[in-house]
Amino acid sequence: MNAAVTFVLDFSALTYRSLVAAVTPPYRLRDVIRQIDTVAVDSLLIIVFCVCAAAMVTILEASFHMKLLIQNDSMVPGFAAMLILRELGAVVMALLVTSRSGAGMAAEVGTMQVTEQIDAIKMLGLDPVRFIVAPRLIGCAIAGAILSLFANVICLLAAMGVSVIKLGYTAGTFSAMARPFISAQDLWFAVIKGTVFCAVIPLFSCFFGFRCQSGAEGVGMATTNAVVATSVAIIVLDFGLSFFFSTFY
Amino acid sequence: MTTSSTALAIDFQNVVKRFGERTVLKGINLEVKRGEILFILGTSGTGKSVLLKTLVGLLRADEGNILIEGKDVAHLSEEDYLPIRRHCGMVFQHPALFDSMTVGQNIAFGLMKHERKTYEQALPRVRECLELVGLSGVEDRNANEISYGMQKRVSLARTLAVGPRILLFDEPTTGLDPITTRQINNLIRDLSRRLQTTALVVSHDMECALEIADRIIVLSEGQIVEQGDVEHILKSKVPLVVDFLAEAKASRGDA
Repeated sequence: MNAAVTFVLDFSALTYRSLVAAVTPPYRLRDVIRQIDTVAVDSLLIIVFCVCAAAMVTILEASFHMKLLIQNDSMVPGFAAMLILRELGAVVMALLVTSRSGAGMAAEVGTMQVTEQIDAIKMLGLDPVRFIVAPRLIGCAIAGAILSLFANVICLLAAMGVSVIKLGYTAGTFSAMARPFISAQDLWFAVIKGTVFCAVIPLFSCFFGFRCQSGAEGVGMATTNAVVATSVAIIVLDFGLSFFFSTFY
Repeated sequence: MTTSSTALAIDFQNVVKRFGERTVLKGINLEVKRGEILFILGTSGTGKSVLLKTLVGLLRADEGNILIEGKDVAHLSEEDYLPIRRHCGMVFQHPALFDSMTVGQNIAFGLMKHERKTYEQALPRVRECLELVGLSGVEDRNANEISYGMQKRVSLARTLAVGPRILLFDEPTTGLDPITTRQINNLIRDLSRRLQTTALVVSHDMECALEIADRIIVLSEGQIVEQGDVEHILKSKVPLVVDFLAEAKASRGDA
């Protein structure tokens, strides 16, 4: 029980210090841009591939079950568009960024910890939270917004593509049938979700990296813990945000 | 034997440090005068590195006070500790260089962040520090391309770049060959004298301590079991010190 309380308090303290460091000068613009580049560009291909696959599976499964239940699949475009914008795009994107960039971040910070590079930063009179966590926090949040927008658009296009090829829709009818179910608000909510989910990634990665025990096993453990904790946090945050956003519908 | 606080660089007052149930430092009392070279000797796991890290707040003391140049630092917040650390350069057991940077960028790192200098503006100081550690002309090489001994010296140069008044060395010669070990030890002595810095050196090397130190303390199980200048240590009857002296004599004989 004590360990859980300590964990929550320590993580809350790191989050608070990171947010303060992120919004107060000096701003490390070059480091932030490097993080956006690392997270967004490096994750782009795998996100495109996975959200396309997820969209295709969603469409085919939805069509199959709708035909079973209501003997037609006319609701598929609306259902798919809602599911993608409200859940699939942002969550799949964030989980992929966690495994792609979050794991790398935890391993990097963990290695810095065990090779005393973090202590070296402190001994130069510098705050590692400001130098390591804050640029990653801002960079990941911005990358999350961009990637969420991108993932949702790609996901919708993939859904449209498989509907045209496999279910006999035209692009025009797919759009027309999806349009009444979604609005610009959904896209904004998806962007907010992507931003929040991706902002959580560096917090957990750096938190476990800073607590890394020495040795290769320690770095491996820190990486695993970071990925697991971030994934759980994304799912929990998704529930919280979806519940909150539902008050606007 | 209390020295005036203004003449003291460091003053440990009954410092206790615990890790869970295990007490690593058991009420350390230690005064270090300005400009002094103090060697901290002891077998592995006796709390030597913990003592250094407690001094600069990388680990926090559970009890007692620690005064650096008269200021009690033991209870400072992490933010308030940052300017204190800037004046206490530390060379770690690992070189702890930022491996994605060049040698020059490593040394310039502190200057660029503190003084908002560009790398080009920091370059003269980088070259000066590299010259101090006898490594001129390597500023453009990647930090992980140079030998371990060179990395240790670059680590020292990075520490010197921000102008510390107190230098802390955590087993600076671990993993080095005898020739490089001697070079590093000479560097510690020469730089401390030339820059008039106080130096605390954690080491296993009694031979080197006898050669360089103004004063030596010997730690065993978290307590100081012997301290004094070289002459005092040479006459000590404390079993651990006798063992260290015998080992130093044997290695001199081997050489």
